[in-house]
Amino acid sequence: MEIVEYSRPRSIDEALRLIRDRGGTPIAGAAWLRTNAKTIKLGVDLSELGLDFIRETERGVEIGAMTSYRSIETSELLAERFGGALGAAVSHVVGVQLRNIITIGGTAAGRYGFSDLNTVLAALGAKVVLYPKTALDFARYVETGAEGPFLIEKFILPARARAAFSQMRISESDFPVLNAAVAKTNDGWRIAVGARPGATRLCPRAMAMLGSAERPSDTTVAEAAAQAPAELRFGSDIRAGAEYREAILPALLRRAIAEVRG
Amino acid sequence: MSEQHRDPSASGAPARPAPALSATNKFHVVAHDLPKVDGEGLVLGRPAYTDDLAPANALYVKLVRSPHAFARIVSIDAAVALALPGVACVLTWKDCPRVPYTRAGQGNPEPSPHDRFILDEFVRYVGDEVAVIAAEDEATAEKAAAFVAVKYEVLEPVLNFENALDNPIILHPEPEIHEMFPIGFEPKRNIAAAYHMELGDVEAEIAASPVKIETTVHTQAQQHVAMEPHVAFSYLDVHGRLVIYTSTQNPWHTRRLLGLALQKPIREIRIVKPRIGGGFGGKQQIHVEPFVAMVTLKTGRPARLALTRREVFEATFTRHEMRVSVRLGADPNGHLRAIDMQILSNTGAYGEHALTTFMVAGSKTLPLYNKIAAVRFGGHVVYTNKVSAGAYRGYGAIQGLTGLEAAMDELAHKIGMDPVELRRMNMIHEGETSDVFRIMGEGTEGVAMTIESCKLEECIARGKELIGWDPARLVREVAPGKLRTKGMAIAMQGSGIPLIDMGSARVEFQDGGFFKLHVGATDLGTGSDTILAQIAAEELGVEMKDIVVHSSDTDHTPFDVGAYASSTTYVSGSAVQRAARSLREELIAAAARKLGAAPGDIVYENKNFRSADGKNTLSLDDFSFDTLYHDGAAMQTIAATESFSGEKSPPPYMAAFVEIEIDTETGKVDVVHYAAVADVGTPISPMLAKVQIEGGILQGIGMALYENVRYSEKGHMLSHNMMTYPIPSREDVGRITVEIVDSYEPSGPFGAKSAGEIGIDTPPSAIANAIRNATGVRLTEYPFTPERVLAAIRAGAASGSIGSRLEGAGARTAPRAK
Amino acid sequence: MKLTITINGKNELLECAPGEMLTEVLRRAGYVEVKKGCDTGNCGACTVLLEGKPVLSCSYLAARADGKNITTIQGRVDEARRFAQFLTAEGADQCGFCAPGFTLTVLAMRDELANPSEADIRHYLAGNLCRCSGYEGQIRAIKNYLEAQHE
Repeated sequence: MEIVEYSRPRSIDEALRLIRDRGGTPIAGAAWLRTNAKTIKLGVDLSELGLDFIRETERGVEIGAMTSYRSIETSELLAERFGGALGAAVSHVVGVQLRNIITIGGTAAGRYGFSDLNTVLAALGAKVVLYPKTALDFARYVETGAEGPFLIEKFILPARARAAFSQMRISESDFPVLNAAVAKTNDGWRIAVGARPGATRLCPRAMAMLGSAERPSDTTVAEAAAQAPAELRFGSDIRAGAEYREAILPALLRRAIAEVRG
Repeated sequence: MSEQHRDPSASGAPARPAPALSATNKFHVVAHDLPKVDGEGLVLGRPAYTDDLAPANALYVKLVRSPHAFARIVSIDAAVALALPGVACVLTWKDCPRVPYTRAGQGNPEPSPHDRFILDEFVRYVGDEVAVIAAEDEATAEKAAAFVAVKYEVLEPVLNFENALDNPIILHPEPEIHEMFPIGFEPKRNIAAAYHMELGDVEAEIAASPVKIETTVHTQAQQHVAMEPHVAFSYLDVHGRLVIYTSTQNPWHTRRLLGLALQKPIREIRIVKPRIGGGFGGKQQIHVEPFVAMVTLKTGRPARLALTRREVFEATFTRHEMRVSVRLGADPNGHLRAIDMQILSNTGAYGEHALTTFMVAGSKTLPLYNKIAAVRFGGHVVYTNKVSAGAYRGYGAIQGLTGLEAAMDELAHKIGMDPVELRRMNMIHEGETSDVFRIMGEGTEGVAMTIESCKLEECIARGKELIGWDPARLVREVAPGKLRTKGMAIAMQGSGIPLIDMGSARVEFQDGGFFKLHVGATDLGTGSDTILAQIAAEELGVEMKDIVVHSSDTDHTPFDVGAYASSTTYVSGSAVQRAARSLREELIAAAARKLGAAPGDIVYENKNFRSADGKNTLSLDDFSFDTLYHDGAAMQTIAATESFSGEKSPPPYMAAFVEIEIDTETGKVDVVHYAAVADVGTPISPMLAKVQIEGGILQGIGMALYENVRYSEKGHMLSHNMMTYPIPSREDVGRITVEIVDSYEPSGPFGAKSAGEIGIDTPPSAIANAIRNATGVRLTEYPFTPERVLAAIRAGAASGSIGSRLEGAGARTAPRAK
Repeated sequence: MKLTITINGKNELLECAPGEMLTEVLRRAGYVEVKKGCDTGNCGACTVLLEGKPVLSCSYLAARADGKNITTIQGRVDEARRFAQFLTAEGADQCGFCAPGFTLTVLAMRDELANPSEADIRHYLAGNLCRCSGYEGQIRAIKNYLEAQHE
């Protein structure tokens, strides 16, 4: 990777200025950036902006953009509030060494199809906050992006939720062939599906079919899961064909819903 | 993978009974587990690998590679690149001697066609080398590479090996290329090699057989993914000789073939193999050596080239893709009457190892079932515009076995017989032979051999215990949508290539009572330096610390063909044993002279010589100083050099049993337990043999389930890094259990055969058979991705065969009909 | 650009291009125990400890390491040697290319996890690939090593 000019600002305002006014490229973990061999004219290192945090506020649980996957994986607060869903989502990525580097903000900014974490965040109804004050629905942001240039500051999750994550991958440290996350919050059920191979999307009809029932019946669950493939678009890639992804989605959803429902 | 897969408690199998005469009772060093001689240094990361040793002032070499699967180079304009400060040279095909050679690391005359030039006017796969750039640093070399302007005449490639034979597009029209001896080389038909043999009348036997089976499998190309990418550096020594340090499995073949390609006498080249980070066959070829050599010869300066991981994937070698068709003729009680194996093999753009991997697919599988009246083997190896295929552990045996063991299991199903009993009824035993040994060698005729050690019965019996094999209950549902099922396979390999592989060893007695052991044998990390030292120590009656090993330097160590064909223990080990034995005799004779006795009157034990009457003694340590410093005219260096080439290739054997869990809603297959029992003769180091086999098994599981070399429609490799070609991680597989049965091969050093390859052969077969047992469907396209397995499950469910396989309704143990 | 990095307790003054990753810089400075096995952050052979935490040096921007503490296997030699004994006792030290990175990660795991189960061990070390050993011998060695630590 070639970086012509490198800067590591100490204030988030300064970082935003470099990104917005000087066309700087934000550098979060840098791991994915490195594999893409582009030339970066001005690299803006975000590691000293104090964005590495997991904390509780009156708005819910906040995770700073520069929080590493490993911090998310080992956070007792997140485990307590969301079951093992967030930990499960990040734990498949390669190894602890890489998870100590890559960040929630980096993979959110990229809106990558292969991201397991993005799927869980979408299911939880998270918000992504672009500094200084723009809070977007994360699921929507993944679909449409945001008017750039911008700097992700943090994510706001609900205070708690019952959530589950399920996925299919050919081998344990490979990219996923398909992933899904289900969450039950006070506002109802949310279902998100990613790695289609496209980026994560909600399944509004399936969500509506589950309604506000605390414990939807097996029949309802099966019906909602069975029709979910029709709500989404799937593609083929080096790892699997579109038909296969469609074929296994109902099973992944049934299992995740059953895990949340109990 | 859930934790329940990895329950560490025993499978319920009884503990292995203590062997009656344990090898460890007989030997004091051999058959003991001793730490590797190089272990600590490597773990601590001391500079030992080729890239660690490159001279600081070496030029960085980068290669310009073809973006087209097939093209003719019209022109190469390097003017801009050469003008960059720090660029030392840019070499193209016009700078290379026009001498065809083969890159295959094989003995002379090579059974691979000489169809390769260092650089050629044609490029034959995406990634094929076009130009060689050398510069002061890596960044400059990369920049210069981008500035080399190449004009191509793009040609239509042949990408499907099923269409290659007699395709009007010819990959190798060059007039200069040739075979070294008849191997069926017909480049105008895109045939790199061909072979055919028949014993008896296969068609008649099959026609007369009441039970006929026909199975075809398609095994994929596989990548070695040794952790160390290919690397070499070269320099001219003070005498102007070309010295190359390289990560290679075959220093002597590299030296000889480089001499040919560079038109240099062999004596002017020195090849050194330092520590290397794995090979598995991926380094049994010439790779980067010609390019650093050409830069050094042109500039007079040291040069280094380390391939990126992507280049290793795209531009070294893969396993040969093969279509293996097997027909069986049998009686209704399971006795085999005939086997017909026909193979189409894809050697990619060049013909390295084409004939030999293809022949090994038959020569190291067919003898397993030696009670047949007729056997036939044949087929072609064809060129395609894909990366060249070469040597890879298993070397054809894994592909051939996949077809053969599929057919055998289909036979078992057809006649309603326990697959294990079917193997036992037909397999080879100690004292028997197979005509295939005599007829099929590796590239040439083989060598007749009576099997003096074969413990397949014991391997099977123990394997059954380890997995809990009950043919009536192979399949059970452990949870809704989760099936557990078992499958098995047997395998053989070889121990060196008889009368073709040769290794030599030199042992020299040094002051301080230690011995230098110089061997050409190449340690790839396998521990060969260690086991060869064990053999020497055993023979010399000393301890491991008294043996200092130096290996794999064509200037300083004696000849050895290199590490391949599972030859190191059997061939190189035999040479070491002979040399140590000769040295021991010399030592005793010299000590006897000193003690004024006849050699027969000297007792040598516990590092001490003493006369029979006990009056005169001489310690080994004292003698070491006497013979070098004190004994006047009688002073001498006591040393011995011996060689060995086997007159047979005694096969190691394996029986493998796998239990897998299939998720019937997603097709995901997880290996719960892989139990493999091996007969390797005496394991010189039981723990090193076990680790070799465990490693081989995991590579075989990778081939069965996870690994796939994929190309785009234009011939670009899509699986070109570890993200797109994942190798099994330690979370992918449950338990692997390896046991080694007591066995003794009289022709091998201390009874040893080999262990390097046997581990990899069975997983694709055993796993296919397990899936077949559960679903009723035989998967024949590798790897068995969840997508393919789900399709099989759905086909099996549609035909109603899954239900009938579940607990309580399994296969009969006895054959259905008389 | 110029960097000051403390490597194995030694203050090193190093030069790097702004976009360089840490592996390049470390190897150039002579720390060849940090290996390059892949280009994509998959293999773990380049693992170093950054402020005691295991990271892939190939995926860590060298410029970001300015002012930080890096440990390679050479900085934990005594512990590494102790663990190596268990590895060599299983014959699991095959080609050795994965070993420095793998060993460092084992030491980090021992520091981070109290009583890891076999599944925990496999999960923590999943990012250290090995093509030679099939992992079984390494697991045996780690279990024996951890057991010995408690004695």
